[in-house]
Amino acid sequence: MSARDAILSRLKSTAPGPIEAEAAALLTAPERPAVDESALEAEFLARLALPSVNASHDVIAAMADLPAAIARYLEGQGEHLTLYLPPDPRLATCDWTGFTLHESAAPDEAATLAIARKGIAETGSLVFETSPQAPMLPNFLTLHHIVLLAVKDIAPYLEDAPLPGVQPRAHYWVTGVSGTTDIEGSYVRGAHGPRFLHVILLRD
Amino acid sequence: MSSFTAKADTATFKERTDAALADRILKVAVERTAGTAETKRGIAVAAFPDFDAARDRAAAIKDHVVAHLGHYLEMFEANAVAAGAKVHWASTADEACKIVIDLCKAANAKSVARSKSMLGEEIGLPHALAEAGIGRVETDLAEHIIQLADERPSHIIWPAMHKTREQVSALFKAKHRSPHEEETIAAMAESARRQLRGEMLGADVGISGANFLIAYTGAICTVTNEGNAELSLVPPRVHIVTAGIEKIVPSMPHAVHMLRMLARSATGAALTQYTTFYTGPKRPGDRDGPEEMHIVLVDNGRTKMREEGLAEMLRCIRCGACMNHCVVFRQIGGHAYGGTYPGPMGSVLTPVFDGLPQSRDLAHACTLNGKCQEVCPVRIPLPTLLKGWREKSWREGLEPTSMRVGLGVWAWVASRPALYRFGTGIAVRAMRLLGRKGWIDRLPLAGGWTQYRDMPRPAAQTFMAQYNKERRK
Repeated sequence: MSARDAILSRLKSTAPGPIEAEAAALLTAPERPAVDESALEAEFLARLALPSVNASHDVIAAMADLPAAIARYLEGQGEHLTLYLPPDPRLATCDWTGFTLHESAAPDEAATLAIARKGIAETGSLVFETSPQAPMLPNFLTLHHIVLLAVKDIAPYLEDAPLPGVQPRAHYWVTGVSGTTDIEGSYVRGAHGPRFLHVILLRD
Repeated sequence: MSSFTAKADTATFKERTDAALADRILKVAVERTAGTAETKRGIAVAAFPDFDAARDRAAAIKDHVVAHLGHYLEMFEANAVAAGAKVHWASTADEACKIVIDLCKAANAKSVARSKSMLGEEIGLPHALAEAGIGRVETDLAEHIIQLADERPSHIIWPAMHKTREQVSALFKAKHRSPHEEETIAAMAESARRQLRGEMLGADVGISGANFLIAYTGAICTVTNEGNAELSLVPPRVHIVTAGIEKIVPSMPHAVHMLRMLARSATGAALTQYTTFYTGPKRPGDRDGPEEMHIVLVDNGRTKMREEGLAEMLRCIRCGACMNHCVVFRQIGGHAYGGTYPGPMGSVLTPVFDGLPQSRDLAHACTLNGKCQEVCPVRIPLPTLLKGWREKSWREGLEPTSMRVGLGVWAWVASRPALYRFGTGIAVRAMRLLGRKGWIDRLPLAGGWTQYRDMPRPAAQTFMAQYNKERRK
């Protein structure tokens, strides 16, 4: 008997069905932190500023303002205007004059831009998926993780994060920077990946 | 290194505990991290609306899954395979290790990057990789520390909890290529970052556990605060997941509920910094990600637990809250327990993996104060399960002769009330003779009890004697 058969033969259901209805019933009115759905942007920004997330933010009115906002941030951090840009056609419309752009991220890339599909007000999380236009690794190699998020894409709860239907290879939530408390429980930023998270809100 | 860790693998539980209690550095290290975790969890739980109802729901979700485990595992397998992953099944720890080693060999792996997984520790994967001559890079900072120190994890969330900053500093200075110069924790973390970055990116295979397996989609979920899982699992050509079969949840919203409970119970955060759901390998056109994804579903005693009265233990989501709040763990740390999993949950699990004859002491090393059950996010009745092991140990004749004879005599006397009252009356008088200034510092036949603390001098008469006297008035 294969291990698969040996395991499954011992795991017959011990309760009557219907299984799917029972599973669905377990999700009725879940307990979760209250979010004011009429003020999602304010709720999101409040969570973003919590010590556990510790992200800075800026607001722009149009995509054309994005390069200037990134330049403002990087100069404020004392960094050169060097940036990894994902191959996302939405970014090609911007004027990147003055920037040194990287098409692939170096192992010690200083700054990376990513576009979040959603922001989650409950936790201040940024939601991403992998695709040919959105590689994953640059968001973890970089020291400064810069994220563009449209205000209209802020949703209240974590249940709103996943895509319906067929799943992308990776679906991931970023709720802060790479941190560790592994030495005496003391919090350190930039354990392996980003040390800084900067969110640029697009109020288009 | 603290004195007891070196001999942790050979000493008896009592020897390990004696050494741990005598180790002042250990006590400081454990208290610093567990104390902080306790405080932060308390704040997070107080801020959450109706955490008790949320615990009921989390327990119900896990009970539902465990009741229909076969159904959900088959569904998970079908969806993971449809997404391009390969699913393997292992009945035992050895089978699981063999599958992983064979996959590594097929990939010509010289080195693997590992993202912390307690299941990996449970099945002995670090040892199996070493035996196969495959280099291993532990990428979680704490696991990196204990890999350098050649030790075992002492906590399931903070594996290097037993190490002080001074010990970590000395270790990094001895082992890192370009160690820190400034004696700060930030500088030490930076030293590890420099050391590990290249090693992670150069690995041939990435190995992880899974915090959750999503049946409806075939995804596996990892959570980290360091982002080391993503850095370990995205660059290599092959991603291998080893996961216990109880890690299943039906859907993403079920996983969301469990994630809310996990982060708050473990670290007091609303969510971990990085939460990732991987569904199969790299897709056409993707610029990064593994070409192969393998998922090894591991039983290793779990079906037996489900059949033999330990189904509630399969709810466990490995948050570590039980040990952070355990008065015994806080005194002796994790290594003294001797198994892969320490603390209350470990004391229930270790007899499953190592056998009750080897681990019967663990169930006795519990005050039954119930604190672990109070903080468990999935309401596992840990004290009841520990009492179950005590009873089994008694039934199977594993208790030492002195204990069996002692309890036998006590039971014989206790079932004869007149004799019992006569005996206790004498004992009380004898104990009063031994007491000085209200305390007894040495007691015949109870030397172990009075070795570390004094016993209060008893009242002049037993409770029953006083009760009867009052009643007669």
